[in-house]
Amino acid sequence: MTPKKTLNYAYYPGCSLHASAGEYDLSTRELFKKLNIGLTEVPDWFCCGATPAHNVDELLSLSLCAKNLELAEQVEGDLAVACAACFSRLKTTQHVLSESDVKRRQVEKAIDAPVPLTGNVKHLLDILARDLGLEQLEQAVTKPLAGLKVACYYGCLLTRPTDVPNLDCVEAPTIMEDILKAAGAETVAWSHRMECCGANFTLSRPGVVIQLSHAILDSAKEAGADCIMVACPLCHGNLDIRQKEIEGVYNTEYAMPVFYITQLVGLATGLGADKLGLDALIVNPMPLLKEKQLL
Amino acid sequence: MSRIGVFICHCGENISRTVDVERVAAQVGTLPGVAFSTDYKYMCSDPGQGLLKKAIQEQRLSHVVVAACSPRMHEKTFRKAVESAGLNPFLCEMANIREHCSWVHEDREEATQKAIEIVGMMVERVKKNRVLPTITVPVTKRSLVIGGGIAGIQAALDIADCGHEVVLVEREPSIGGHMAQLSETFPTLDCSQCIMTPKMVDVANHPKIKLYTYAEIEHVEGYIGNFQVTVRKKARSVDEDKCTGCGVCMTKCPQKKIPNTFDRNLGMRPAIYVPFPQAVPNTPVIDRENCTKFKTGKCGVCQKVCGPGAVDYEQEDQLIVEPVGAIVVATGFDLYSIEEKPKGSPIKGYGEFGHGKIPDVIDGMTFERLASASGPTGGKILRPSDGREPKQIVFIQCVGSRAREKGISYCSKICCMYTAKHTMLYHHKVHDGQAYVFFMDARTPGKSYDEFWRRSIEEEEAVYIRGMVSRLYQKGDKIVVMGSDIAVGVQVEIEADMVVLATAVQPQKGADTLAQKLGISYDKYHFYSEAHAKLRPVECATAGIYLAGACQGPKDIPDTVSQASAAAAKVMTLFAKDKLEREPIVAKVREAGCVGCFYCRKVCPYGAVEEKEIRDRQGNLIKVVAYVNPGVCGGCGTCQATCPSKSVELDGYTDEQIVAMIESL
Repeated sequence: MTPKKTLNYAYYPGCSLHASAGEYDLSTRELFKKLNIGLTEVPDWFCCGATPAHNVDELLSLSLCAKNLELAEQVEGDLAVACAACFSRLKTTQHVLSESDVKRRQVEKAIDAPVPLTGNVKHLLDILARDLGLEQLEQAVTKPLAGLKVACYYGCLLTRPTDVPNLDCVEAPTIMEDILKAAGAETVAWSHRMECCGANFTLSRPGVVIQLSHAILDSAKEAGADCIMVACPLCHGNLDIRQKEIEGVYNTEYAMPVFYITQLVGLATGLGADKLGLDALIVNPMPLLKEKQLL
Repeated sequence: MSRIGVFICHCGENISRTVDVERVAAQVGTLPGVAFSTDYKYMCSDPGQGLLKKAIQEQRLSHVVVAACSPRMHEKTFRKAVESAGLNPFLCEMANIREHCSWVHEDREEATQKAIEIVGMMVERVKKNRVLPTITVPVTKRSLVIGGGIAGIQAALDIADCGHEVVLVEREPSIGGHMAQLSETFPTLDCSQCIMTPKMVDVANHPKIKLYTYAEIEHVEGYIGNFQVTVRKKARSVDEDKCTGCGVCMTKCPQKKIPNTFDRNLGMRPAIYVPFPQAVPNTPVIDRENCTKFKTGKCGVCQKVCGPGAVDYEQEDQLIVEPVGAIVVATGFDLYSIEEKPKGSPIKGYGEFGHGKIPDVIDGMTFERLASASGPTGGKILRPSDGREPKQIVFIQCVGSRAREKGISYCSKICCMYTAKHTMLYHHKVHDGQAYVFFMDARTPGKSYDEFWRRSIEEEEAVYIRGMVSRLYQKGDKIVVMGSDIAVGVQVEIEADMVVLATAVQPQKGADTLAQKLGISYDKYHFYSEAHAKLRPVECATAGIYLAGACQGPKDIPDTVSQASAAAAKVMTLFAKDKLEREPIVAKVREAGCVGCFYCRKVCPYGAVEEKEIRDRQGNLIKVVAYVNPGVCGGCGTCQATCPSKSVELDGYTDEQIVAMIESL
């Protein structure tokens, strides 16, 4: 038996997890507590700039992330990030600034501090699959998700941009499937794992989002999935909150619960529905979980 | 007293843009021993060389320094000019103030200073240069050709037709290479086999060609005119002299489920096989990895049914040494695959195309086998998954090629044309089908090439969509192709029955290992490097070794055949002389100092060091010293660096010369 590692991280929840994706934040904290992984929230963190900032002003977007990276230095451990967009932006910033001295100097002037470029920025998936390890994770599973067919949905940002050293293979990642198999679930092979859900066009061009998210839901259903699993608050919003609307537009019915990864892995480690924020999901997951006797 | 002439070249503006050449000439002119110094716009041109020759005669120069480009580029040119003016060519040196100075610096003042120092070093060096006599070596008028594809076949036939013996070595059990796999060829649509197989037979019947198939190069020694090549003739398990090629063994072999690589794994073959019916030689080979007899010891059917008793399970690999004077490398190409690559590989696969796991997504060569009359489907275009005829077919170009993010940035050159050909073959065979082609650019430079491409669109109804494909995925029994049409600016989605990928041309596997055996250079993709991209396109930098075909870079058949004939012509030029003149840059042993430790022999990569006995007048042995055979020495200088008693020196690169250069600074 391998000795248990003590894992401690600085935690950057990002704006969504303090707002619309509160259940992602809650389930992350609970799951990590259960797995004995320390999370200390970065004091005074603020928005990473998400998608809008880097479309408008590169210096601004880099500086926002750089400042957060600098703040994170106060807490010991690698930086744990839950949101796919925050993850992508923080990694990209590190990459861009380590490649360009000119930009790094501009940013350092803007934030009036040196940018830490060597600290590790890690997505929760990376922490679960590699730092903790699939073997340890499997040992922590008390209620395997037997019989639950899950469509793992990566979306665009988890493995992108392609030139930034990233989480997994850009085009054919398997990290989500690996984690869910360790949690005892069955993962389906499906075509739309990596397609875009429409992302932040959800407010400005909802028609586009409805079309794209419909294709994803359709493909998951066709592959025989019971539910979809995500690791991004924006994907979750589009697939879960807009699902009813999509059903209406296309005159169809999915009733396809959309879970965060921490919620499903949390269930497998024996955490109750209240600790995972399952009641915050728009598509009610209870009938499915009861049917599969997972609650 | 030296009377050195220094000639500073502007190289158009290449040097003079950053180096003040007039100042360099003036400054160097004041150095002791320099009798003459000048500058000129193009020193390598005819007037430039004329200026040099005139100065040698008028100024009675004893040594010459040309400050210009790299000696790799023009050392030969200037030494020849010096020689024609009556000086020994080895009294001329080049100072590289282009690659080593003007090209890599921006500051004019600093670059000029550096150029003065570089030229000054060479002035000091050339003072110590000695007259070196040219060395002549005999030439073995036999040639080795590595690779029996169309390039190797053409080169071998051309050399052999000139009356010189050729040893042709092919790795596979038959010659023919990739061209034997093709169905029809652009831009005339003549059948590949029909134009290829007669040449294969010519090779087999040629009295001057010695053919080794199922054989590889084990080891190469020697130098231009005098190579010793060891060929490993792999155990065929069939005696080539006894076998009549009747084929009974193949029909009786109980093991028939081995994927046929010649047919791109579309069909099956037995464990004893010839790769294809027109194989040369028509002698089967036992695939020992898959043969029941070799795996379990039980079977032996082929031996029982063989009338002439040719099957021999005991046969072993043979090592044969062949002396040759020249080598033509024609190892050809391999195709890139979209499969997942090992972690850390500089070349990546295509996860977005399913990493090669979608059965009806095939590559161009597989399509060739489907379209070939002698292929696994008898020339019918059928899907590998269910044998149905595809009614919607999508061709995707530049898969791997021009894809920097996948690790290959070059254009594979042949795909635009063969894809156009594929759309035609498809249209001829599936009349109610529709072909789509996703392309970046249509590159059709070549005689009748653009006309051919236009024909595929205008007469053969192929729909060309300018744009790339972002994803392929299986949906039911269809393959969804998601791409963009950048001409219209829309996203395109096609539900196809079959997808054909024009995958990149890569060098043969093991190209790097062979290059190391031969001592030739290759680029980062492992394509072999020619001596000069424009002016010496078929010669390697290593003397006596020539290149033909796609091993040097992606090439179509006409270009390959032209290059093969060019390589053959180069070999014949070499063989036209009985003796070969070579550079006298060789190591010499100072016998008085040599203690006979023979460290030099251990490090010599050419095997040039021999033993020499030193005797007194009475004939008593005093000591044994090292002797460097000047015919074999490659002039690398490794012995000079190794010798503990400093008793070996390389002519033209003596310690004295190097020290003089350093002291000048």
